[in-house]
Amino acid sequence: MTDQFHTVGKSLTRKDAWDKTTGKALYTADIPVENVRVGYLVRSPHHYARILEIDKERSLEIPGVLAVLSSDDIPGAKEFGPLIPDQPSLAMDVVRHLGEPVVLIIAETKQAAEKAASQIRVVYDPLEPVFDPVQAARDDSTPLHESGNVITLLNICDGDIEKGFQEADHILEDTYTLPRIHPGYMELETSLAVWGEGQTVTVWVSSQHPFTDQGFIAAALDLPVENVRVKSGVIGGAFGGKEDSSLSILAALGAWAIKGAVRLVNNRRESFLAHPKRHPAQIHYKLGARKDGIFTALQTEVHMDTGAYASYGPAVAAILTETLAGSYRIPNVQVETSVVYTNSPLSGAMRGFGSPQSHFAVESMVDSMAQEIGMDPVQIRRANIIKVGEKMFTGVILNESASALPICLDNAREVIDRFQAIEVSPGKKAGVGMALAAQTMGLGANVPDDSSHRLEWAPDGKVLIHLGAPDLGQGLAMAVEQITAEALGLPYGQVESLPLDTLDRPNGNTTCASRMTYMAGNALIDASDKLIQDLLSRAGEILEVPANKLVYKEGQIIKEDGSSLPVVEFLGRLAEESITLTSESTFSFPYPEETTPQHLPIGMPHVLYCFGAQVARVEVDPDLGTVEVTHFAAIHDVGKVISRSGVEGQIEGGVATGLGYALYETMLKKDDQWVDSFTEYLLPTSKDLPNHYESIILEVPEASGPYGAKGIGEIPLVPTAPAVANAVNDAVGVRVTKLPITPERILGL
Amino acid sequence: MKEITVAFLLNGKKTTVTSLPNRTLLDVLRTDLGLTGAKDACGGEGECGACTVIQNGKPVNSCMIFIGQVEGTQITTIEGMMEKGEYHPLQKSFVEAGAVQCGFCTPGAILTAKALLEENPHPTDQEIREGLSGNLCRCTGYNKMIDAIHLAEERGGDD
Repeated sequence: MTDQFHTVGKSLTRKDAWDKTTGKALYTADIPVENVRVGYLVRSPHHYARILEIDKERSLEIPGVLAVLSSDDIPGAKEFGPLIPDQPSLAMDVVRHLGEPVVLIIAETKQAAEKAASQIRVVYDPLEPVFDPVQAARDDSTPLHESGNVITLLNICDGDIEKGFQEADHILEDTYTLPRIHPGYMELETSLAVWGEGQTVTVWVSSQHPFTDQGFIAAALDLPVENVRVKSGVIGGAFGGKEDSSLSILAALGAWAIKGAVRLVNNRRESFLAHPKRHPAQIHYKLGARKDGIFTALQTEVHMDTGAYASYGPAVAAILTETLAGSYRIPNVQVETSVVYTNSPLSGAMRGFGSPQSHFAVESMVDSMAQEIGMDPVQIRRANIIKVGEKMFTGVILNESASALPICLDNAREVIDRFQAIEVSPGKKAGVGMALAAQTMGLGANVPDDSSHRLEWAPDGKVLIHLGAPDLGQGLAMAVEQITAEALGLPYGQVESLPLDTLDRPNGNTTCASRMTYMAGNALIDASDKLIQDLLSRAGEILEVPANKLVYKEGQIIKEDGSSLPVVEFLGRLAEESITLTSESTFSFPYPEETTPQHLPIGMPHVLYCFGAQVARVEVDPDLGTVEVTHFAAIHDVGKVISRSGVEGQIEGGVATGLGYALYETMLKKDDQWVDSFTEYLLPTSKDLPNHYESIILEVPEASGPYGAKGIGEIPLVPTAPAVANAVNDAVGVRVTKLPITPERILGL
Repeated sequence: MKEITVAFLLNGKKTTVTSLPNRTLLDVLRTDLGLTGAKDACGGEGECGACTVIQNGKPVNSCMIFIGQVEGTQITTIEGMMEKGEYHPLQKSFVEAGAVQCGFCTPGAILTAKALLEENPHPTDQEIREGLSGNLCRCTGYNKMIDAIHLAEERGGDD
């Protein structure tokens, strides 16, 4: 097949990568500002306690201390939250988790701040904490917030659940337990705020949603939104975890208090305790199937622990719930999901946003069912995958993208056969397992989701992308530069995207939900068309010919006689008249009326899906219970590859994170303390990952996507843990239902 | 506590700093010398490798070294990798192999790779995995870093 694209689909180099290899790239902790002061947070030493008194007097006497602030000092909104404003920027009368910020100290040096912290007296009245979401959900449990502990209760039914189980020849049920994990970005949460003239503040953030930060900061400082300017530093990874605004509000508060500059950086311990994590969940899963393997009924009960504050809990619950049937058509479904407050560190957004949890349950159970019936794991999946035009239990009718599922299975079959033929190492037991995945795109129906971006054709011929959403490090900038270069027929080198600044930028919305290349890409293709139309109409005026007699092609304006003029010549002439060619476009995430049911709560359902499959080969030491993933294949449909190296990077990195979820990572509580450092919290290293790794990238075009593309940001880690669990079961016949899959769990200790 | 004066060779240049002795090399590089290429990702506990610099040919965590321990040694930071305005082969290969995503671990990983190739000019995949295992990365899954190190090796990356 000949490729009609000149830039899209190619493996190009990221323009920001050069500065990242020399140390020149400025992350928010690196940005030089004169007289910048140090922010320091005094945090709760209790899981749950009433605050009786905060005595700051002695701390204010420490030399070098400029301000000591508590909730009472916040001039505006004292609480914030992306969905529910339940989280105090600084604790008010109660602390609800270990490490909750209580007092903000601003000092000339870190040493002075630490000394001041030791002189602050906070009197607490400790209360009995609750950590088990099932217990916290009970009526007789102490409510941690006025609204009670259950903040979301979703109950969705489709078909007739009793009839579905009556039709089943086999019914299996199990409870799957998912751990609390850290998003694991390397750059810790950081914010830098500089107070300016006329009651203004400029705040640098490492954030997925600078426009949301802007709103929260303005509300906290009781300022008009336009007085708050938010800029993006280079971002050192986010993975969902930087959809949180806690430090940006506090840095701005510090800057407001001293009328100067304040930098606030979490250390890793603070990040573990006080920044959102992946939701721990208990999923009770009951599946019925006929003897030919066809699923007849699914019933689930899920408890999600959102910790002390809601963060994105209710929205995560939506995706977790909607993906409980995975990639399968199940006619009779009843699912119930509750999101519960506890005194644990808060949980919120993280890459996958609920579907890694649901998929561990569904994909483990599908293998158990195959084993129960005596079917091959690929065969049982093939018998049940949802097809184009079929209804999911949420009522969503799947579009053409579902045609990727059988192709994923064909590839998985081929890989499984290959992996099964590999010789086993002496003393080990080998197993091969697979899992499918369905990952939603978008924020969900009835949630406003517009994304605006601007193009500028500079006088030197360069096209600047005023991107309305931040690149988190994943390579959004490269992807939209490739799309824009394609749309304008220009070399990749001639297109450049600019870092985010709310001062003059259209709002592109949060970079999240596997959709920013899709959203920005669509907007920029449209903006490119508008830019060309504007160019031609202005060129027509200058050349005194009707615009429709001119054609634009690859940086040239072509006249009717076939002669051509370079665009840059016109840009120069327009610049003399102080005219800059710009265009702006907004793309709204589509929720087609005919395929989007309206009976569900706001934010549900999600209508566009990505699909993939992964295959793991493991070797298990039957005496030690240790697992080595020796071979791994990730098969993903991306609609259309925009940036090949970018797509590969997303998949490879996602799988690594998925393997951490499968085998290593958990923020368990021991002796009343949470695991809060990389000493005990094991992020996969280069030694822990498979030596043999392959990505198989499929392109089933998505009609609504830019050049047919859809998202790849989240799905690569979704099927990983169940694929490994299924491989372990294949190797040693042990079904591990709790992540991570530790030697103790394999040996049943 | 009394300040101490420490003299060392930093990226080939004689450098003298005056500091309290309880400060780390990482802190002095970032705060006093304005060299922010070395990063802190674990809270100064020597667990992430983002602050890696090369001391006398060996990769070290600069957050685990008190400034006094630097006296008389040679330190290379990421800012000292380019020569005469040219990118080092490892810098080029990291960019070209797609080994850079968010970039926060990149300086430390490149310096670790430099020290590795100087000691072992033709490492196997396994030796690279071993050598890089102190540099945590959440973005890449390390595959493209391994590719990048082989690419630099082919181009004579230890020069």
